[in-house]
Amino acid sequence: MIPVRCISCGKPISAFFDEYQLRIAEKEDSKVILDEMGIKRYCCRRMLISHVETWE
Amino acid sequence: MMVLEDLEVNGEEGSKMEIELKEKNENEIVFIIRNAEVPFVNAIRRIAMMEIPKIAIEDVNIVKNDSTMFDEVLAHRLGLTPLFSNLEVIEGLVMSEDCDCDDHCPRCSVSLTLNKTGPENKEDIKVVYSKDLSSTDSKIKPVYDTIPLLKLKKDQDVELEAVAKLGFGKNHAKWIPTTVCSYKQYPKITFNEDLEVDYECAEACPRGILKTDKRSKKIKVNNIENCSMCKSCVRASENDYINVGYEKNNFIFRLETDGSMDPEEVLLKACDVLSEKAEKFITFCKGGKV
Ligand code: SF4
Ligand SMILES: [Zn+2]
Ligand SMILES: [Zn+2]
Repeated sequence: MIPVRCISCGKPISAFFDEYQLRIAEKEDSKVILDEMGIKRYCCRRMLISHVETWE
Repeated sequence: MMVLEDLEVNGEEGSKMEIELKEKNENEIVFIIRNAEVPFVNAIRRIAMMEIPKIAIEDVNIVKNDSTMFDEVLAHRLGLTPLFSNLEVIEGLVMSEDCDCDDHCPRCSVSLTLNKTGPENKEDIKVVYSKDLSSTDSKIKPVYDTIPLLKLKKDQDVELEAVAKLGFGKNHAKWIPTTVCSYKQYPKITFNEDLEVDYECAEACPRGILKTDKRSKKIKVNNIENCSMCKSCVRASENDYINVGYEKNNFIFRLETDGSMDPEEVLLKACDVLSEKAEKFITFCKGGKV
């Protein structure tokens, strides 16, 4: 599961995870989604971009 | 014994500190402090991170957890979930160390419960979110509803009680109200007009702060506050045409919270804590009891 907060800065990025996944599934551009959700720093952006769900 | 006199504290000699607000929204403020000194600004920063009381889940009593997630991991996730802790919301709550109860009581804690059962179908997976936490206090609840806590399959249940307590950031990161809390000195970009204009340096800026203006044979600076003082421009320049420095006593301060408190509130509280500490120091130096 995605960590609750960004490992570097502590922003609760997991709150945006579902929305991000949904919009990625609809083939939206990752940059546009992150910008619109207000996730500005690259530490937070990599949390969503690079997450691999291994827990099922 | 030396007796200290009350001194007026100023930044640079003879100049008063000034503050200018730059940006402000729900979770973030950016402001400029002029005529201050590093120790003072840094004290504010450290107190804002470490010594502001905030509420977070501290103890979790797990009655049942059938999911594949370990109890410890689940408790950790609950702890990191931000809860509303505005000053008006946590008013009246006391630190659990200062409370006279044995473990926890309504005076020093708020309890939240989580009760969920898995999906009906064998193939389905049910995600339990932070909104499923029900609190005994209507105001102290998770800031975000959409934080995934754990996943349940058919015939798996989770049942727990989480006890949220006040704490300080210096004891655990879950009690830090800020995410970004930082300052930088105000950038200062100067050009050596005696030398030939070097347009190369403008190209090198990764933030687009330097713009070449061929007509007036100058390099223009726009939005200097965004300059990270990386000095890429200085390195790219063949001669010493450009120089990047900073203004010693001016600062750009950025404070972002995790949503649990308003940024102004964090700042105000930090100032209160600092003046309290200074007050103690003065009393001590004058030979009084602290
Ligand atoms: S120091 Fe870095 S950010 Fe600032 S103007 Fe030079 S290249 Fe741009
Ligand atoms: Zn981050
Ligand atoms: Zn108590």
